Amino acid sequence: MPPDVHTLTGPYVLDALPDPERGDFEQHLAYCESCTIEVTELREAAVKLATQVAQPPRAALKSAVMASLNDVRQLPPLIPDADSADDSTVIAPKRGFGRRGMLALAAAALAVATSGGIAIDQYRENSASRQQNLQIAAVLTQPDATTKHASVTGGGAATVVSSTSKDSAVVLLSGLPRLGPDRTYQMWMIDGSKTAHSVGLTDGSPERTTVISGVADKIAFGLTVEPAGGSTRPTEPVAALIPMA
Amino acid sequence: MTEQRRVFSLGELGKTVPVATADGALMALIARGDSSAFSGLYDLTSARVYGLVRRVVRNPAISEEVCQEVMLEIWRTAAHYDPARGSVTAWVLTIAHRRAIDRVRSEQASTNRDQAVGRQSVETDFDQVSDAVTSSLETEQVRRCLGSLTELQRESITLAYYGGHTYSAVAEMLEANVATVKTRMRDGLLRLRDCLGSEGK
Repeated sequence: MPPDVHTLTGPYVLDALPDPERGDFEQHLAYCESCTIEVTELREAAVKLATQVAQPPRAALKSAVMASLNDVRQLPPLIPDADSADDSTVIAPKRGFGRRGMLALAAAALAVATSGGIAIDQYRENSASRQQNLQIAAVLTQPDATTKHASVTGGGAATVVSSTSKDSAVVLLSGLPRLGPDRTYQMWMIDGSKTAHSVGLTDGSPERTTVISGVADKIAFGLTVEPAGGSTRPTEPVAALIPMA
Repeated sequence: MTEQRRVFSLGELGKTVPVATADGALMALIARGDSSAFSGLYDLTSARVYGLVRRVVRNPAISEEVCQEVMLEIWRTAAHYDPARGSVTAWVLTIAHRRAIDRVRSEQASTNRDQAVGRQSVETDFDQVSDAVTSSLETEQVRRCLGSLTELQRESITLAYYGGHTYSAVAEMLEANVATVKTRMRDGLLRLRDCLGSEGK
C-alpha cells in the first residue's frame, strides 16, 4: 500500500473515490482496523451534511415504498459456516464489514502474538480458510486468551494462544526447519496425569495454523519430531514444551 | 434474533466497540419483516434521504426513483446492519449517498457531461447549502461546524458530498493538487467530527 493510503478514508467516506480505487480501498479496510474505525467515525460526521439539505419527499413515495415491501425478499443475517454456529455470540460482529473486520483483527492479533513473524497472506479471501479464520478469531478475541511463546529445539518458534472459556487453543509455528519426507512434526496436548494426546501432524510451515479444542484440562503443549505418519507416543527429547496452566 | 453483543477489547489493539442497542433493536425488528418498524424508520430518515439524493441527482423524478430504491434496499438488507459499525442513520444515509453517486456517475459516463462548471459551481455550492438551512438545532450546529473549516476543506467536502464529484474532479475544479484535496477531505472531516462531538447533542 502506498504510504498515503490512510488519507483515503476522507475521500472514501465522501464517495469521492473512482471505482477501481474504491474497491482497492475496501480491500485495504478489511486488514486495517484503525482505518475501519476512522471510516466509521468520519461517516457519522459526513452524514450530518445531509441535515443541511433535508427535504421531505412527496407522501405518495411512502405509499409506493410501503406497498412494495411485500415484493422484496429480505436477506437472512450473515452467519458463520454451519459447524461454528455455536460460536455465534463470540463472533457477533459478523455482518457487513464485521466479518472482514474480524479477520483483520485476527490477523492483527496474530501479527502481535508472533512479533510479526507470521505471514498474513493466509488471511486473504479464501473460502477454504475462512472457516478456520473464524475459529481462530473466536479464540483470539476471548477476554481470557493467553499467549505462550517458546523456541523450538533445532530452530524456529511455537506460539500457543489458548482460551479456557472457549476450551480451545491456536497453535502458530514459525521458522521451523523443513523435515525430510521420512519425518514429521507432531503436536501433543499433555493432561494433568502427564499423558500426551496427539492433536495432529504438521510439516511446520507457517501457513498452517492449527486450532485445537478440548484444552481445558491440559497442562502443556508439546511438539516433537516423529517418523512420517506420526507416533502414538511422543519421541523424546521433545522439540518444544509450552506449559499452559 | 439475539441482540446480545460482546464489547471486546484485545490487548494493545484495545478498541472497545460500543453497542447501539436502540438502533440494533429497531433493525432487528425490520429484519424480521416488521413493516410498522420500517414505517417508523422511513419517517425518521426519509427527508434526509430524499434531500440528499435530490441534492446529488437534481432531477426530481430520478431522485424519487433512487429514494425508493434506497428504502427498499434498507428493507432488503436490514439483517446486515451492524451496530458496531455506526448508527442506523449513518448506515441509511451511506446507502443513499452511494446510490445517488452511482446513479450520477453512470449517467455521467453515458452522456459525458460537460465538466467545465469549474469555479462557478464552487461558489454557488456553499451558498445553496446555506440557503437550505432550516431552524433545526442539528442543522444549525452542522452549519456552524462547516463554517469552522478552512475554505479548501469545506469546498473539497461539499463538492464531493453534495456535488457527487470524485477527488480528482474536485481538484480540477479547485485548481488544487490532487494529494492536497484528498488530505483536505480527511482533515476537514476530522475537524467536522471533533466540532460536532464537542458541541454535544
